[in-house]
Amino acid sequence: MEESRAGGRNPNQLRPFSCTRNPLERAHGSARWSQGDTIVLAAVYGPKPGTRKGENPEKASIEVVWKPMIGQIGKQEKEYEMTLKRTLQSICLLTVHPNTTTSVILQVVGNDGSLLPCAINACCAALVFAGIPLKHLAVAIGCGVLEDGEVILDTTKAEEQQLKSFAHLVFPNSRKSASSKAPNQKEEDSERGLITSITHGVMSEDDYFSCIERGLAASSRISDFMRTTLQKQAPGDV
Amino acid sequence: MRDLQHSLNQTQRVRLDAALNELQTIAPSGASAAAVTVADTIPVNDEDNILKGHGTSDQDGEVVATLCGVVERVNKLVYVRTLRARYKPEVGDIIVGRVIEIAPKRWRLEINFSQDAVLMLSSMNLPDGIQRRRTAVDELNMRSIFEENDVICAEVRGFQHDGSLHLQARSQKYGKLERGQLLTVHAYLVKRRKQHFHHLEQYDVDLILGCNGFIWVGEHVVVGENTNMMEDKPSLSAEVENFTPLETRKHICRLANAVRVLSALGFTLTVELIIETAEASISSNVEINDMLGAEFYVQTAEREAKRRADLLKKKSGGR
Repeated sequence: MEESRAGGRNPNQLRPFSCTRNPLERAHGSARWSQGDTIVLAAVYGPKPGTRKGENPEKASIEVVWKPMIGQIGKQEKEYEMTLKRTLQSICLLTVHPNTTTSVILQVVGNDGSLLPCAINACCAALVFAGIPLKHLAVAIGCGVLEDGEVILDTTKAEEQQLKSFAHLVFPNSRKSASSKAPNQKEEDSERGLITSITHGVMSEDDYFSCIERGLAASSRISDFMRTTLQKQAPGDV
Repeated sequence: MRDLQHSLNQTQRVRLDAALNELQTIAPSGASAAAVTVADTIPVNDEDNILKGHGTSDQDGEVVATLCGVVERVNKLVYVRTLRARYKPEVGDIIVGRVIEIAPKRWRLEINFSQDAVLMLSSMNLPDGIQRRRTAVDELNMRSIFEENDVICAEVRGFQHDGSLHLQARSQKYGKLERGQLLTVHAYLVKRRKQHFHHLEQYDVDLILGCNGFIWVGEHVVVGENTNMMEDKPSLSAEVENFTPLETRKHICRLANAVRVLSALGFTLTVELIIETAEASISSNVEINDMLGAEFYVQTAEREAKRRADLLKKKSGGR
């Protein structure tokens, strides 16, 4: 019934992802996030003093610059910048450093589908490496809906072109208590909520909700991966 | 900062993993249990009286972490400390930097930071040692004091409005560093201590641990040689005879390689650890260039694991 995807993945399987910590030395924080062949490099500079003209000086402002792999900056890139800015504004604590600007610069190194989720994951990792306080991590996943209503995760470029519709969803990460005495306390998944959702194409409500369900389940896997990466200590750390 | 590329064979890999695992288990048990990521709740006993410090926030009545790091508690203050933070300068830090540009009345230095640091001409002692107003002639002769690509040791005097550093080098112990090596390590490996200038008598070597992650290993310079600067120029032949002796150079290289190995392993750099590593290399007859090889890397990790295990045993045995 289900066609096998390129690379032999089943519908719920994500491409192997990896995150490099601070590849850029001059940036305050940087991360290189790769999901399969989609690779995005994010760099964070800030907080720098002063806000731009139209921004509220009582809060920190976030400025996003998106650089595509080839070609000039056009409308698509501006749309990505706006999406990222709204997403990051909702996860950062804006009142900690009022009247400052944090710049996030993204460079697309490889694009093989699910570009926006990869970029959001890279930004979130870069913000953590820069030491900027966040409310929660943003875990992004791309889902697609096939003609028969089947939902597949982490779409590649070839799949996206054939799909009827697909959605990019961003969830907050799962919480855990800091004490080691209470191991896996499963929070209610439905309470976690959704930060951002961008859809392309036409899909029915049921398809959309099943995308959200699958995406939520997969996001806890990425969330655990982020937890181990961000907490990795060097041997000498005390 | 460049990681040493090692091709470890199977036994070396096994030994290295064993040593690293031992270090992880020896680490004080409080540290690993209290590691948090963003949005983790921090357990607190009484919510009313605690002070929420950096890296925490109040959400739904719970104390939630906003940074990834380790939870530290000091009396009633709870805060999250990041493990591998970028270099955060404070007033009074000792810094080692390299001159990249000479601008009107100031030198710009590169330190391991997002912006370049500035050393004003007025924050620097003049060669003749007299305290006077800096004139235009002094400004034109800046190059005779420091040139581009010189390595300089200075102290942080303050911050400018855009966050870049203001340095001062008014004391005799600061100034140009010659005849040695500059090493770059991660800034979090150098902790702030009382003493950053170390003179190692047995090797006749100066070791300066800059808080920004730049480390200087060089031939020992007797403090107070400032008067020699004016007489340097005519005595070119005397300079030829003044070369650093070979033994001192070997010691400098050994210490520099010890720093490289320790920073590749990620251990906090202290003078004792560096000296111990260098002496261990001498006693086990490792060649200086072999110190950067895989075998010494693994041996250093094992030695450090053993040292910490002994320290722990001594502490618990002494009770």
